[in-house]
Amino acid sequence: MSPILSIEAVTKNFGGIQALNGVDLQLPDGDVKCIIGPNGCGKSTLFNIISGALPPTSGRVEFAGEDITGLTPPIISRLGVGRKFQVPAVFGDMTVTENIEIAAAAAKRAYLPLSMLRRRPDRSDYDRLLADSGLGDYAGVVASELPHGIKQRLEIMMLVTTSARLLLLDEPTAGMTEAETAATVALIRDIRANLGVSILVIEHDMAFVRELDCPVVVMMKGAVLTEGAYDDIKDDPEIRRAYLGEPVAC
Amino acid sequence: MRRPSSPLTVAVWAVLALCPLVVDDWNLGLLAQLMIYGIFAMSLSFIWGQGGLLCFGQALFFGLGAYAMALTTKGLLPGVPASALVGFLLALALPGTVAFLLGLALFRGRGLVGPYFGIVTLAAAVIAERLAVNWNYIGGFNGLLDIPPLTFGSGDGAIEIFEPLPIFLIVFGAALVVYLLLLGLERSPFGTVLRGIRDNEMRAAFMGYDVARYKAASFAVAAAVAGFAGALFAIQFAFVSPAILGFALSTEVLIWVALGGKEVLLAAFLGALVVKSVENVLSDALGQYWLLVLGILFILSVVLLPRGLLAPVFRLRLPRGLRGGG
Repeated sequence: MSPILSIEAVTKNFGGIQALNGVDLQLPDGDVKCIIGPNGCGKSTLFNIISGALPPTSGRVEFAGEDITGLTPPIISRLGVGRKFQVPAVFGDMTVTENIEIAAAAAKRAYLPLSMLRRRPDRSDYDRLLADSGLGDYAGVVASELPHGIKQRLEIMMLVTTSARLLLLDEPTAGMTEAETAATVALIRDIRANLGVSILVIEHDMAFVRELDCPVVVMMKGAVLTEGAYDDIKDDPEIRRAYLGEPVAC
Repeated sequence: MRRPSSPLTVAVWAVLALCPLVVDDWNLGLLAQLMIYGIFAMSLSFIWGQGGLLCFGQALFFGLGAYAMALTTKGLLPGVPASALVGFLLALALPGTVAFLLGLALFRGRGLVGPYFGIVTLAAAVIAERLAVNWNYIGGFNGLLDIPPLTFGSGDGAIEIFEPLPIFLIVFGAALVVYLLLLGLERSPFGTVLRGIRDNEMRAAFMGYDVARYKAASFAVAAAVAGFAGALFAIQFAFVSPAILGFALSTEVLIWVALGGKEVLLAAFLGALVVKSVENVLSDALGQYWLLVLGILFILSVVLLPRGLLAPVFRLRLPRGLRGGG
């Protein structure tokens, strides 16, 4: 299958510091991959470049066969790349339904102010969306008052609602309980299986990575060190030394 | 639980509509004047309360509208017919365009946020006031006098409107239309997205929204409404001066809206009516000390009731389609 995301020789310098040092990465359409690596290895910088928050110093990013290198975040988002931030980024002063409305309006590509003035969809549309996302009980709750795990789920579901075809999830289980982590694994599998959405995850939690059971990309010092199945990675002595730290029981 | 307060909202408009039955001509004229300020207050409520943009120079747009109407109806604009209708169109278009362009310039890229946006708008209003003072063609320091009243038709059949009752009815109708339009905008998906941008600009941008254009468009709507209020002011007062462009009126409208409640249109509208009425009474009794009283009231309100004195009473429920857990 042709890749939905293709990153070729991307570098990024901040002054004299080389944050990315020629990253190559391919994500086949409909697949999930997990990026791991120590702090400062460039994972978040890579997400910033894919989503348009930062332009790369050199290299090329392609999404669905289209060159998106250096485009702005709104344009890249409209093409179908949805980014979940490390700290949950939802509309905190607004109810869950209002949050979903903003996402649903984005899905209709109604980005110009004028196109937003028509009637809102039937209430039952939002209700169904919320029920499908497991958020039905929270419809009228102000987002900042949601439990942490539900907030993360809301953010992911908002991105799905915008009809994104690629999700970039930056540490989706940070600060979660075990039960919440398990629910997130189920959610990611669900989204992939039912909607065919491709997903790239940054994660530190090795239990989560094992549960997700997908190809793992190991990044070190601004480049991709290796890529493979979780079991191969975990037994690779070089990676254990570099990243997992000896001795670690995963 | 939110209290449904739409009966109260309807009652306010009904009471205003019934005023001509019980209020004498002099006070009717006064009330029309207050409602013009009320329309102006709603314009700031929209951009500040919904868009989160504290515009410190909203009088710039009020003044632009007033001058556009005055210059048009006095026939001072070469090639532009001296008609009130054209005056109204210009009073909407000119402030709207200025705000849209100013907005695009200010919000592009990283964009000006918070106090910086306020300072730039304040500076723009002060500059406009200085320009008007020094520009003799538009009346200079003295402003423009003898602005013709609102006229329908032309020649012998023309009807001039200067009696208090018809003026009251026209201003009342205008206020109600502006209220319903802005309310409809706030409660549409557009309004939801606007509040979303106020809440978390980055999240909105990473969902595909062109934040700068959104804010500029809302700024333009607010400016057009302010310009419309200015045009009504010009024909009711028959007089405009540089003072209505500048710092003093910009600050006044800010106080009306803050005291009433910036997030609720009707609260902002009534804030203008109440503060101005109280001013009429108290400035007689207290003279200059009135400003001191107003200042203390303002500070107390900001500290104790940051959402405004009237907003809790007139806050409406969420639109049916957005209510959760129904």
